[in-house]
Amino acid sequence: MDWWIWLIIALAVLAAVASSVVALQARRRSGSVIVAGRRSQAGRKGGRT
Amino acid sequence: MSTYLRAREISQEPVVTLAGEDVARVKDVVFDPMRGSITCFTLSGRGLLAGPLKRALLWKKVHALGPDAVMIRDESSLEEDDEAARERIEAPGGGSVIGARVMTEEGTALGTVNDVIIETSGTPKVIGYEVGPATRTDRTVFLPVIKPKSVSGEMMVVPAATADFTAGDPAGLPAAAEGLRRRLEQEA
Repeated sequence: MDWWIWLIIALAVLAAVASSVVALQARRRSGSVIVAGRRSQAGRKGGRT
Repeated sequence: MSTYLRAREISQEPVVTLAGEDVARVKDVVFDPMRGSITCFTLSGRGLLAGPLKRALLWKKVHALGPDAVMIRDESSLEEDDEAARERIEAPGGGSVIGARVMTEEGTALGTVNDVIIETSGTPKVIGYEVGPATRTDRTVFLPVIKPKSVSGEMMVVPAATADFTAGDPAGLPAAAEGLRRRLEQEA
């Protein structure tokens, strides 16, 4: 195949990888609204029971 | 004047120092459902390729919470690690409240939590929940939260009278909460 076809394929793969990384990071960045759990009595008293 | 924010709107807000430096983005809003107070924020980095940060912002270090940014004094207000936030999130009962079912103590499903409404006049406090349709209701409503029996990432159990005091928008929540408070006092 001509060299420019390989170039186009390489660019397409690069673009796909870049967009996947951006999408993955965007998903990792997306947040939520979290209920704080109940800490145990032992935890609040510094480990005393 | 009271301003009402949806907690999901706070997520992705920039964290800005009083010197005008944009240091992070809010990722998760962590709140105490029994006290109705915001506990802390988890953070993510800025920019397209940034992921979550291993730092947290405790509420006591927040200078102001506005509709467009969370203001802090300087970057030292951020915790060096996210241990304090993870401790609260990973404790029993912790988890995302979005999608949690709202159930009365008599066993009637009122819907699922779409968002948490925060009143920002003075110290911000959680004043209610935006609840999506359940089988018995066919519209999104706003429920005041007073004395919830329990709240977790899966289920919120509320007094039965809560179903009688819904609001059509966040601004109607204080009046609905007042009505519910009076009813609960009468029932006590």
